[in-house]
Amino acid sequence: MNIGNFSARKVSRRSVVAAIAATATAVTLAACGGGDDKPDAAAKPTGTVTVKVWAWYPEFKAVVDQFNATHTDVKIEWTNAGTGQDQYTKLQTALKAGKGAPDVVMLELQEIPTFALTKHLVDLGKYGANDVKGDYAGWAWSQVSSGDQVYAIPVDAGPMAMMYREDIFKKYDLTVPTTWDEYKVQAEKLKAASGGKSFMTDFGANDGGFMTGLFWQAGAKPYTYDIANPGSIGVNVNSAEAKKVFEYWEGMVGAGLADTTAFHTTDFYNGLGSEKYATYLAAGWGPGYIQANAGGAAGKWKVAPLPQWTAGANAQGDWGGSSFAVTDQARYPDIAAKVAMEIFGAKNSEAWKIGIDKAFLFPTVTPVLESDAFTGKTYDFFGGQKVNEVFVPAYNAIGDLDWSPFNSYNFNQLTTNLGQAIEKKTSWTAALDTAQENIKTYATQQGFKVQ
Amino acid sequence: MTEVQTSPAAAPAAAGLSPGTGTRRSARVKEAATGWLFALPFTVLLIAFLLLPMAYAFKISLYRSTLIEGEVFAWFDNYRQAIDDPLVREGVVRVLIFGLLQTPVMIGIALVAALLIDAATSRFSRFFRLAAFVPYAVPVVIGTLMWGFLYSDSIGPFAWTGIDFTSSGTVLASLGNIVTWQWAGYNMIVLYAALQGLPRETYESARIDGATEVQIALRIKTPMISSALVLATLFTIMGTLQFFTEPLILQPLNPGAITQHYTPNVYAYNQAFSFQQYNYSAAISFLLGAVVFIGSYIFLFATRKRSALR
Repeated sequence: MNIGNFSARKVSRRSVVAAIAATATAVTLAACGGGDDKPDAAAKPTGTVTVKVWAWYPEFKAVVDQFNATHTDVKIEWTNAGTGQDQYTKLQTALKAGKGAPDVVMLELQEIPTFALTKHLVDLGKYGANDVKGDYAGWAWSQVSSGDQVYAIPVDAGPMAMMYREDIFKKYDLTVPTTWDEYKVQAEKLKAASGGKSFMTDFGANDGGFMTGLFWQAGAKPYTYDIANPGSIGVNVNSAEAKKVFEYWEGMVGAGLADTTAFHTTDFYNGLGSEKYATYLAAGWGPGYIQANAGGAAGKWKVAPLPQWTAGANAQGDWGGSSFAVTDQARYPDIAAKVAMEIFGAKNSEAWKIGIDKAFLFPTVTPVLESDAFTGKTYDFFGGQKVNEVFVPAYNAIGDLDWSPFNSYNFNQLTTNLGQAIEKKTSWTAALDTAQENIKTYATQQGFKVQ
Repeated sequence: MTEVQTSPAAAPAAAGLSPGTGTRRSARVKEAATGWLFALPFTVLLIAFLLLPMAYAFKISLYRSTLIEGEVFAWFDNYRQAIDDPLVREGVVRVLIFGLLQTPVMIGIALVAALLIDAATSRFSRFFRLAAFVPYAVPVVIGTLMWGFLYSDSIGPFAWTGIDFTSSGTVLASLGNIVTWQWAGYNMIVLYAALQGLPRETYESARIDGATEVQIALRIKTPMISSALVLATLFTIMGTLQFFTEPLILQPLNPGAITQHYTPNVYAYNQAFSFQQYNYSAAISFLLGAVVFIGSYIFLFATRKRSALR
């Protein structure tokens, strides 16, 4: 116990110091303070067990309240530790420090290998996670597991579809495209008819998840990686499929058919609320975000399936989505695992009611996903359309895709190189080649056997 | 102060009294202890929050940590990598250019503003003094976010100009504008305070000698506050080399223009907190620290005649 404490303190100071050395923000320092003692697997809990959860789902407080109201033996203590990278930064620091990390943490699907590699995630397969495997679509489960080892429990996903402005389409007499070729034809028509006032869409170069979703649909496999064999990785970021996607969009942007305003910015949301963008290539969670940030065009949007590369095909991709993992700092991993499985589990229809109606999460758990309450739900934002009739089949048609165990570097390479190609008006496919070379070099430096 | 205190104790010793040496030693020890006691709060803070972290950061900068192999001692490999890293170099060149352009503009504005409010004593000058200082009171993060909205091409007040303030060609100037807005008022106050400390008779004699107000400002006041000017310039140079918050906050607006290696500090930050390369990040930070130190020293040496900071 003494040794455990000592090493925890030592590592903690070390991380604090490293933080200062690298001009850390106060936020990061705060993440190191406080927290639990080292996990003690043998200990039996007495009384109510408090499980610390980090997550940034919208409306999550109601879900936590509902969970706590229906459980007497376990209580969730929830913290919103920031969205995406902000939370990961704090989590990495706390995991490295050996204290201060939550028991259960929200991880986006693409981040799971990154955290699994450092062996900070508890194998939930040991705590009965494989029993709920049947509740999830095959591709979603393969995102969080390797064989019988389960690193996280899927929560929501982001199957992609095309949101379009019915009013703009009517105004300029456009037809809803089903292939990317048709999409481009409609884009040209729109540009001519609107006098360049409206773009067909916005291609934000600042979101690696968005780009990967489009690569995914085109059948690209940027990485070959299995957590069970952590030292070896295949890197194929600049595959022919990925280049096909980039060539297409370089053409769209070059011809002035698609805008390149960064996603998630004020200008982007204003574009969606005004008549600047006629379509938005959205993920299943997108409508909730759009509704909150660009409500101006409520009721005018409709959803159609993502245009296809081959007419009549049903290729789909995923952008985002998340899961709950249990960290190695959980004092009672079994209880934490149970919490991870239950918060948004198949049986927790009350939580999903909040998740679907208020937070606009797209559920991964099949009983909820295929319930009439979800597929038959009408959305005022989409003029009363049952949009999940588009998103659910898209979700079910998504194929497998491996992520790298250094995803922030991966996304950074995609966004930086593409961003610079757009700024300097240089070739997008060359940007992919640069990313491929840099990532291979990085992986080799990090000690991976690169194929 | 210490000299004065010493003399009574030293006097008997000088007079040849035998126990004198003992008294003197004990007095010295007591004196030293008192001195250390006074310096204690600062020393403790200095050691705990600067020297120890720096020593630790230096230590980890000598290790190399990889995802697969863990940590190994690597001497100065990280430093070699940083010096060879074109992204570090790009960032350093950028902050140097930024400093060369930004420093004279900001100090110039601050000096002109300080001379103006020093010359006028109307109610307007008091208002102007406060107004120019207000941006400094706004936290950097808030100020930068605010400018982010002002630069917006959909809701910004300058959207009608059609200028994209965050494109790769314009973004450095846009950032410079934010920094100037934020810090010119602060520098103005520093210079204004120095002006207020000058003897007013000098101006009178200058006036009697027939100097105009402009001549007084340029030939009398400005040279007399040169040490304050040097100080303000020094702080500005150090600030620009460590350029960090503004690019980090504005980055989401156009990551293609404000890259993750935009300045050496931003790069070090991303290495540590996006890619977990703490060791490499520490090496970059140390190199940057060395550059800032050497740069500041060169500047102080070059201006030693004008500066009070010898």
